[in-house]
Amino acid sequence: MTDGPLIVQSDKTLLLEVDHDQAEACRRAIAPFAELERAPEHVHTYRLTPLGLWNARAAGHDAELVVSVLLEYSRYPVPHALLIDIAETMSRYGRLQLVQDPVHGLVLHALDRAVLMEVMRSKRSAGLLGARLDDTDVIVHPSERGHLKQVLLKLGWPAEDLAGYVDGEAHAISLDTAGTSNPGKDGAPRPWDLRPYQNQAIEGFWHGGSGVIVLPCGAGKTLVGAGAMARSQTTTLILVTNTVSARQWRDELLKRTSLTDDEIGEYSGARKEVRPVTIATYQVMTTKRKGVYTHLELLDARDWGLVIYDEVHLLPAPIFRMTADLQARRRLGLTATLVREDGREDEVFSLIGPKRFDAPWKDIEAQGYIAPADCVEVRLTMPERDRMIYATAEPEDRYRLAATAPGKNHVVEQLVAKHEGEPTLVIGQYIDQLEELAAHLGADLITGSTTVPERQRLYDAFRTGEITKLVVSKVANFSIDLPEASVAIQVSGSFGSRQEEAQRLGRLLRPKGDGRTAHFYAVVARDTVDQDFAAHRQRFLAEQGYAYTIVDAEDLVTD
Amino acid sequence: MLRVVVRAFCAAGDLPRGPDAPPAARIVVRMATFSEDLRGRSDDELVALLLRRPDLASPSPSTLSSLAARATSRASLERALGSVDAVVLQVVEAVVALHDDAAPVTADRVAQAVAVRSDADRELVDAALDRAVGLLLVRLDDQPASGSTAGRGLLAAPGLAELLGPYPAGLPPAGTVSGGPAPAGRTPGGTSTPSGPLVLDDVLAEAPPGARQVLDALTWGPPVGLLPAVRTPARDAVQWLLTHGLLSPGDARHVLLPRDVALALRSGRTHAQIHRPPATASDVRHPLELVAGESAMAAQRTVRLVATLVRTWEIDPAPVLRTGGLGVRELRKLAAQLETDETDTAFVVELAGAAGLVADDREEVPTFAPTLAVDEWLAAELSVRWALLARTWLTTTRTAWMVGSRDDRGTVRAALDPELTRPWAPRLRASVLGVLADGGPGAALTATQVSEQLAWRTPRALPPAAAVAATLREAGFLGAVAAGALSAAGRALLPDLRPLDEIAATAVIGDGRRGRSAASSAARADAHPDADDVAQALRAGLADAVDEIMLQGDLTGVVPGRPSPELEALIERAARVESRGGALTVRFTPESVRAALDAGTTADELLADLAAHSRGAVPQPLDYLVRDAARRHGRLRAGAASSYVRAEDPALLAGLVEDPRLAALGLVRLAPTVLAAQVSTRELLAALRERGLAPVAEGPDGQIVHAERVIRRVTRRPRRGLVTPPDDASHSTVARAARIAALVPELRRAELAQQADREAQLADREAHRIAAQTRADEADAAATAARAARLGVADEDGAGSSTTSLDQDTPAGGSARTVGAGSGGGVGHRGGARRTTPGTSGGTADPVAALGLLREAVEDRTDVWLELVDAHGVPQRRRVRPLRLEAGRLRALDPARDSELTVAVHRIASVARVEPEPLDPDRGDA
Repeated sequence: MTDGPLIVQSDKTLLLEVDHDQAEACRRAIAPFAELERAPEHVHTYRLTPLGLWNARAAGHDAELVVSVLLEYSRYPVPHALLIDIAETMSRYGRLQLVQDPVHGLVLHALDRAVLMEVMRSKRSAGLLGARLDDTDVIVHPSERGHLKQVLLKLGWPAEDLAGYVDGEAHAISLDTAGTSNPGKDGAPRPWDLRPYQNQAIEGFWHGGSGVIVLPCGAGKTLVGAGAMARSQTTTLILVTNTVSARQWRDELLKRTSLTDDEIGEYSGARKEVRPVTIATYQVMTTKRKGVYTHLELLDARDWGLVIYDEVHLLPAPIFRMTADLQARRRLGLTATLVREDGREDEVFSLIGPKRFDAPWKDIEAQGYIAPADCVEVRLTMPERDRMIYATAEPEDRYRLAATAPGKNHVVEQLVAKHEGEPTLVIGQYIDQLEELAAHLGADLITGSTTVPERQRLYDAFRTGEITKLVVSKVANFSIDLPEASVAIQVSGSFGSRQEEAQRLGRLLRPKGDGRTAHFYAVVARDTVDQDFAAHRQRFLAEQGYAYTIVDAEDLVTD
Repeated sequence: MLRVVVRAFCAAGDLPRGPDAPPAARIVVRMATFSEDLRGRSDDELVALLLRRPDLASPSPSTLSSLAARATSRASLERALGSVDAVVLQVVEAVVALHDDAAPVTADRVAQAVAVRSDADRELVDAALDRAVGLLLVRLDDQPASGSTAGRGLLAAPGLAELLGPYPAGLPPAGTVSGGPAPAGRTPGGTSTPSGPLVLDDVLAEAPPGARQVLDALTWGPPVGLLPAVRTPARDAVQWLLTHGLLSPGDARHVLLPRDVALALRSGRTHAQIHRPPATASDVRHPLELVAGESAMAAQRTVRLVATLVRTWEIDPAPVLRTGGLGVRELRKLAAQLETDETDTAFVVELAGAAGLVADDREEVPTFAPTLAVDEWLAAELSVRWALLARTWLTTTRTAWMVGSRDDRGTVRAALDPELTRPWAPRLRASVLGVLADGGPGAALTATQVSEQLAWRTPRALPPAAAVAATLREAGFLGAVAAGALSAAGRALLPDLRPLDEIAATAVIGDGRRGRSAASSAARADAHPDADDVAQALRAGLADAVDEIMLQGDLTGVVPGRPSPELEALIERAARVESRGGALTVRFTPESVRAALDAGTTADELLADLAAHSRGAVPQPLDYLVRDAARRHGRLRAGAASSYVRAEDPALLAGLVEDPRLAALGLVRLAPTVLAAQVSTRELLAALRERGLAPVAEGPDGQIVHAERVIRRVTRRPRRGLVTPPDDASHSTVARAARIAALVPELRRAELAQQADREAQLADREAHRIAAQTRADEADAAATAARAARLGVADEDGAGSSTTSLDQDTPAGGSARTVGAGSGGGVGHRGGARRTTPGTSGGTADPVAALGLLREAVEDRTDVWLELVDAHGVPQRRRVRPLRLEAGRLRALDPARDSELTVAVHRIASVARVEPEPLDPDRGDA
């Protein structure tokens, strides 16, 4: 027991005091087996989960290392029962292995017969396992590889996946660090390099085989993907959320890698190109026509060596799981916000792979790679008449009534006036409210019904500074890259979605040319469900260190 | 003593012996009886005995004889056997089993019988014998012939043989000899020669198959076997053995292995091997810091849970079941609140009850509520609070682990049920902790290992394995045991557990001996010398309290350690705890802040408190949260009203509130058109009507109602039975030791007094007899004189002498009435039934002492005078020789009629020892 920076709690959380001198060393030591849960200003909370411990085992760390790290840095005596539990949990890893047998194909090999019997007896593994070869081996249907791994995780006997990856078709890709593909205005090449954390992320991913990389919005996840592709040197399938995002990826790849226009194909609603590097949308992959997934054959069209999932937090939605069946290939998931309101983040880990890299948002901000941001919640009191209507309304209508409270418009105008001249986004959920706002502010509106070319035109205009105000609906939630946007005003959102809040903030986090702070405003009606949802939405960001300052709408005038 | 008295009288003069005097009896050499042995012990030994067998001292016996009688009673012997370890038990069994008339049982014989193999074993046996003698289970025979102690015979205490069963150590008792021709080398009568088994082998060589197995089966176990079916080879083998005298017939269906054959088969041993103490090595040894840390965490947790329980029941007491306990649903609710499982919750509840922190309030509708002692406890420091709980746990007789199990009738046992006590629970806890302590520092033992140890330490009083496991679990929950090993705090509980005789030995009989530190503290006159030690021991393992909290922008706070009491109170008031362990993580929510405001804190006070304890500034979101909660607090007001009056027109109500004539109504204006009143509707209506207004009453739905008359009736309610809360277990070891030490001289004095009384009475009897004899002689003389007078001269002297003799009668008779007081031992009485008057027959009427006397008589094979009451209530007095006393029946031999009789013990009115015949004065002394 020393005066260490870490406090181990009996409920398996680890509290790391950030101001302690040993904090950095401790963080590095616990990163392999502990998951960062919260990172507010003084104390970061990590959690020991079975999944995290098993990932540590997969990476080659054993229980003794974990225990010794905890004992070394802990300030108070570590609960004895916890140490026993850690050892016990970690010993469950690797008793089952997935191996590639030359004769039988994918085989589940057991080092412990009792475990295999338990697994085979369980109802959940029905249909995933084939014939029993002998006491310790069972054939596995190749298509059920991912599903089986998920089931084994749930049963508490994770399998070590030694079945290897299909290498895929080789294709030369390299990062154009010399900058010749992206020359400056004078035509001279602009050399660049990957940032340290991006390198770490790529390393972590490659070393682990498959997995998820979590980086804040604006930290350059696209480049991490590109780096992974350069490492893999194979054909690549990239899955993105929408067409605009697909085009963004394409542009970035052209700028930063050796790939040419012919090598990159887009497979979306509009175009259907299958090239060595193909960018497809989730939507098109999962469209059904007459009960048949017509575009699923894209998965088999080429021998993909790497599959990249952009915004992988969307994946567990059942509609997207179908694309996760490419278990035999290296899979990379990219996201900024791995939280879901339905709590199914764990499925991502089992479908794609474990988290290979994670960095607190404030850390990246401190290094200067994302813009500092200031979050403010503006609380608005509804007039009496509206409060009466709200109080007597049906529960399902309440949020809409609160979110579209008339007073919000005035507040938005005040805020916009306050930041006159700065590229400002006004984001909302309800179209009529947005239309009204657009009219009031004299700004352009982008909604789901706006055509893609129109959206592109407006985004480009915003980027160049031609227009400084845009009113957008949730189509702009993610992936849209608007580097200079520095003010966002949110009037309504999808109820309590933390991920949406974080993504919206993410629109602002590109480092600005003049290094100015970004401002994120959430306008909330007091004493309504709007306020309750807002509190929930802000939780993720608050835990990342972005504490919201709460201001009364009446006080705005005086600022 | 007795012999001296008789001798004195006999030597006092040549008294002619009357015609009906009994013939001179030979002097019988008697072995010292058990009671005499007791009297012969020194004061120190008696004190030690009483401390080791505390049941003998409470209630205090009056004389040494009654002590002796009590010491041979079945219950006391059972208790004594229950406290000895396995080696002592083996030694005692050996003494009983080897007992026969041929040769005395010496220590050497015993050592041989338990198969001693080394010096260490011999030391074990000697120590065991010492202990058995000290406990009065075995006594040394005082044969004048032999010199050294080692050669002295060992005798079991009377009554012990019955306890050990009909076949102690599996041997048939002495007296069962093999029938049939004795093969060469075997002496009939029980002793076996070393060549016994070898000779047996020769004999068995010619035996049919199966004979050896039969003998082996009966060798170590009970020597009684069931006859196998006829015409089986086994039956033939048994038949062969019977004819050759290796088995003897029992009753129609059983055969018995004779003693000498059994001994021969066992090579003269009574036990296969000596029961050495099991190794106390444990595989797991934890570092002391780990144990201290775990113990501190458990202690904090226990104190916190008890405090939470108290606070919960402060506000919302739990109802008591009709049978006096806490209902299952209540327990479950409590478990959810304390966030533990039901077993642990039951333990917390029982602990609080035993410590006197919660109790049944004995109201009409009884509930469990905190007692007055709670406030002091809550204000104390953490280690002091824990010390109370720990010491309570150690000494309480309540058995919390039984909660939830079903009793014989099938009902579930409830927590705080008055019947959930077992008197052996404190002893069990003490012995379990003792076993852990002996394992060494940091040694972790499992429940099975502890049970194994206990099986050696008290084999005849083995606690159930479930109880041992439950005790270990409770100790772990409490913090006395951590990670399976005894913690320093648990060890501090142990000085209370040293055997009482050791404490007394070092404190009371001080005399220059260097006492241990615990003994010197025992010598201090403090009532609880160990309370501080326990708290101190726990404090040593606790980390320092931290007084600051780190508040963060996501409305959480972290206390990097154990919070100080003020900080803890603040957190309890205003935040919700999320995570516990070395540090405390809390979250401030609107609900938690509101709870603080409900309790009366204002927003400014709360923020000031937070700022005072916070490491940095209070984050703005938290500041805003508190102020916002304060803004919303109190916008709704609720109050009580007994009735209201409302009107459409505010003018009608104007002036009513301020009217002094209506002040008694307690009117409050709630709104311009509503007034609330504190009186009933009827009174309100009456007052308003008196005022001149015309109100009507309305029902809850707004309809006008016309009030009806209410007729009162009252029911009688029965008083509930009172349930007393469990008493505080408080005992001072020093006071007990002192009391017992003072008891022993009292016993001696009482014994001497009784002896004196007996002598006096005997003297009186002798005097009476002599007087009677003199009278008889004088009567003869008078008769002869009278005859002479008739023949010759009439003599006045004869009549005079007869009168004188009558006068002489009364004093003797008078003195004969002063019999020794109390329930003394047997009063000596000469032979001759005619002389007795029932009132002064002496003997002992006290049943315990009577049984004691009977047992002694059984051992010594002497006669007693037995006064029996038959079925019609008619007493009769017989002289019998008791043979066996067991199961409430006495088998005795009536020498006069030469028949055996069986008497139920409860029909015995009194028992008196038959004194040996007085010495023949002609013979001189013995």
